[in-house]
Amino acid sequence: MVKTLRIAFLFCLLLMLGGFNANAEVDTETPIEPAQEVDILSKMGDRYYIEFEGLFKFYLPRIIISDGLHFYSSTKSAMNSGVFQDQFYFENPQAFEAGVSGPVSYTLVHTDDGRPVMLDMSISKHVVWFWLSGLLTLLIFGRLANKYKSGIGRETAPRGAGMNFAEVMIVYLRDEVVKSNIGEEKYLKFAPYLLSCFFIILFMNLFGLMPWGQTPTADISVTAALAITTFFMVNLNGTKDYWKHVFAMPGVPKLMLIIMIPVEILGLFTKPFALAIRLFANMLAGKMLILSMLGMIFIFMGMYGTGVGLGSGIIWVSFTLFIYALKVFAAFLQAFIFTMFSALFIGMALEDHSHDHHHEEEPDGLQPATHL
Amino acid sequence: MNPVLANALLNFETGIVLWVGITFVLFFVLLKKFAWGPVLQALEQREKSIQESLDSAEKAMSRAEEISKKNDEALRQAEVEAQRLRKEAKEEAEKIRVDIIEKSRSEAEAVRDQTLASIEQEKQKAMLELRSHVAELALEAASKILNAELDEKKNKKLVDDFIDGLSKN
Repeated sequence: MVKTLRIAFLFCLLLMLGGFNANAEVDTETPIEPAQEVDILSKMGDRYYIEFEGLFKFYLPRIIISDGLHFYSSTKSAMNSGVFQDQFYFENPQAFEAGVSGPVSYTLVHTDDGRPVMLDMSISKHVVWFWLSGLLTLLIFGRLANKYKSGIGRETAPRGAGMNFAEVMIVYLRDEVVKSNIGEEKYLKFAPYLLSCFFIILFMNLFGLMPWGQTPTADISVTAALAITTFFMVNLNGTKDYWKHVFAMPGVPKLMLIIMIPVEILGLFTKPFALAIRLFANMLAGKMLILSMLGMIFIFMGMYGTGVGLGSGIIWVSFTLFIYALKVFAAFLQAFIFTMFSALFIGMALEDHSHDHHHEEEPDGLQPATHL
Repeated sequence: MNPVLANALLNFETGIVLWVGITFVLFFVLLKKFAWGPVLQALEQREKSIQESLDSAEKAMSRAEEISKKNDEALRQAEVEAQRLRKEAKEEAEKIRVDIIEKSRSEAEAVRDQTLASIEQEKQKAMLELRSHVAELALEAASKILNAELDEKKNKKLVDDFIDGLSKN
């Protein structure tokens, strides 16, 4: 095993040595022929269409709030309306042929003076996949709830693998995440939010592992939205003590408060910010790693020919499989971590500090341990 | 720069944040009403009923234990009582036996005494009779021997004195 790995490593190193020139070649490739290069980044950004590659491409409607509400069935029809224009064509008007040219950048600007739109409320593919995740959660757990309502699992033991598996996760989250952080008395108020968080994020994470699937959580906008809901959940339920610790930390000299208050206020926002960035970065990194690994096959093909490319494919595909398995784990882990920290922040906001002033430091101490 | 990349990766799209945020709250409300509410409630109810049945089983167990303890106690007491009764009965029987033996012995003694007394009496009587008889016989013999001279009364007195002298000896 070690010998095989060593040979594989040396093989890679050997290929790398001669690769600098060829690499430069890849970089200089013009975007005019995008089919030729391995464009990883374009696979990961948000888009205003859903593409099932090789099958069909479905354009999503554009909703623009700028000088009134505008609704178009697709980006192209928005361009053809004459009110808005794709930014690329605004900068390169000679390339635009009305009625023929499709959108390129998908960023719409006003046709007359090129100013950006006020608010782009268009539905993007990440929003659609987020909705799918929400609907899937609603479908699965709505059916589960109906089972419970009919008496199975209420008076009897749960029946069936699905119900048992779902119950294991729900009970684990309820006991280990919600109850242990928020407490026995108030858990019922926050468990629905945290369970929704966990399962919707989990399904979003797992969608990215399906063929044609997308991971909306690999988009900072989506994770930011989720973190903002946690922010509201925390701060709308904060106790008097919680706010006192922000604006008048007890047991701290008055002069220190000049420093403490800004830090504490900053802390209110860094918590959800960290939540958003952690989830987004992890999901994006996994996705990027898989695409990069598979992209290596094509880069090697370009550098050394088809034979070497396909031959080294064995290595890249096995690496990809490894990363893929890791991603399945990370999908669960990141959903759990998001839920866990949301519960922790809510629990901190609900905590009654009157008996002990040093509780707040505990969760802060925990934070560095979660680089994942 | 590839124009497609203009909308990629680190773009913070307010519209998407709004869509996701609003729909997430909507999903949360729907999930709370149709999924988590009933599920959590059912789980709690089931846990409560399990806890209750465990508690009642515990209670029944302790009650059964108590009852069995009581039964044991009663059994033990009954045994002690039975033993006591048996001992008492034995003692009484012994007493009765002793009594009976005593009584029969005393009775037998009484009978013997009586018999002895009556024998003595009879003997006395027989002695008396014998004496009178002997006196008569002696008188007759003496009268036969002495005949007429002798007064019968005087003779009898003589003989009686003689016999008294005999019996005193």
